Amino acid sequence: MEALIKPEFGLAFWTITCFVLLVFLLSKTAWKPLLKAVEDRENALRRDREAAENARVEAEKIKNELEIKFAELKAELSRRLDAARAEGEKEKEVIVEEARRSAALIVAAAKIEIDSQKNEAVRELREKVVGLALAVSEKLLEKHLDPKANSQLVARAIDDLEKADKFLNLSEN
Amino acid sequence: MELKEILEHHIVDHVWAWQTLGPLEFPVSKHLLMMGIAALILLAVFPLIIRSRSLALAPFRAMIEIVVVFLRDEVVVPNLGRKGAAYMGYFCTLFFFILIMNLLGMVPFGATATGNLAVTAALALTTFALVNFAGIREQGLFSYLAHIVPKGVPFWLYPLLFPIELIGLLTKTFALCIRLFANMIAGHIVILAFVSFIFIFGALNTALGLGVAPVSVALVLFILLLELFVAFLQAYVFTFLTAIFTGAAMHPH
Repeated sequence: MEALIKPEFGLAFWTITCFVLLVFLLSKTAWKPLLKAVEDRENALRRDREAAENARVEAEKIKNELEIKFAELKAELSRRLDAARAEGEKEKEVIVEEARRSAALIVAAAKIEIDSQKNEAVRELREKVVGLALAVSEKLLEKHLDPKANSQLVARAIDDLEKADKFLNLSEN
Repeated sequence: MELKEILEHHIVDHVWAWQTLGPLEFPVSKHLLMMGIAALILLAVFPLIIRSRSLALAPFRAMIEIVVVFLRDEVVVPNLGRKGAAYMGYFCTLFFFILIMNLLGMVPFGATATGNLAVTAALALTTFALVNFAGIREQGLFSYLAHIVPKGVPFWLYPLLFPIELIGLLTKTFALCIRLFANMIAGHIVILAFVSFIFIFGALNTALGLGVAPVSVALVLFILLLELFVAFLQAYVFTFLTAIFTGAAMHPH
């Protein structure tokens, strides 16, 4: 069992030789390419993440700008809408006023027209009644010349005239 | 057969031939063969896996990569600082070399080269060399020697502390050597003891031996799994401690 705890110098020498050789050879052939690949990938990841971060910041900025612009546009729009509405209101007022005035004018003209027509009609009617009374009295005078009848006729004519007078009196008022 | 013989057969190195070179004798032995196989695997298989772009090897590549990235981010850079990247090759090789030698001990007809005091002593010596090399390279020879004694110590204690710290450097190395060696043979010894139980009890009484067998086998299985874990753990511990010592030598504060 002494061999278990007695280090064999030769084997230690082999171990050191073997290990040192391995360190140099593997550093060149294995670890360097492996670490290089790992680092490349890490760098690529970092670059990608930074690019994504930048893009996000950029997008945020653009979004903010757009929001501000949108708010401005909205304000502008509502301002213009209000202005247009006020304008429309004013226009409406003017149009209604004008319409009212012209309607009043028309009504007044129509009233005058109606008055004149009525006066004309009354005048014509009186002329016709007078004419008719004269014609009737003419005819009566020609045909029935007896005193009783005449007196009756005269009475009736007077009644008629009174009626006509009343009518005339109304129209004059 | 004595337990001693069994242990010697399974744990102690078998020297097949001696290569004489002047006054020195170099053994050609089973542990050397195992070391050679480990070196062959590292030299042939690892570069192949790492450099190939084949999809079938991708999982193995990922496994190696995970370990290497772990060594870089958790072991080397925290202890050695940014400049530690230059020593990555050393630490990766150290970890995988020890790991593969540990694992070869669990293969049938294999032997644990790291269960040999000469091998672990040699590995600890390379660590010792690396620690001093890195310290001198980082600080310069005189600054390194001056910083061996921690800062803040009264000057009259220097004559006392300087040799103590020097001995401390050696004991750290020695502890590394013994730790790996003991951990790697302990599992084997326990497994052999459990297997021997079957025959010891069998010699007393055949029925007793048969009764002990399942228990022994179950325990052997458990110890085997434990050894598998310890193979990884000790490779990590050796690498980690080497990194700590190197880092302490590089940055004395």
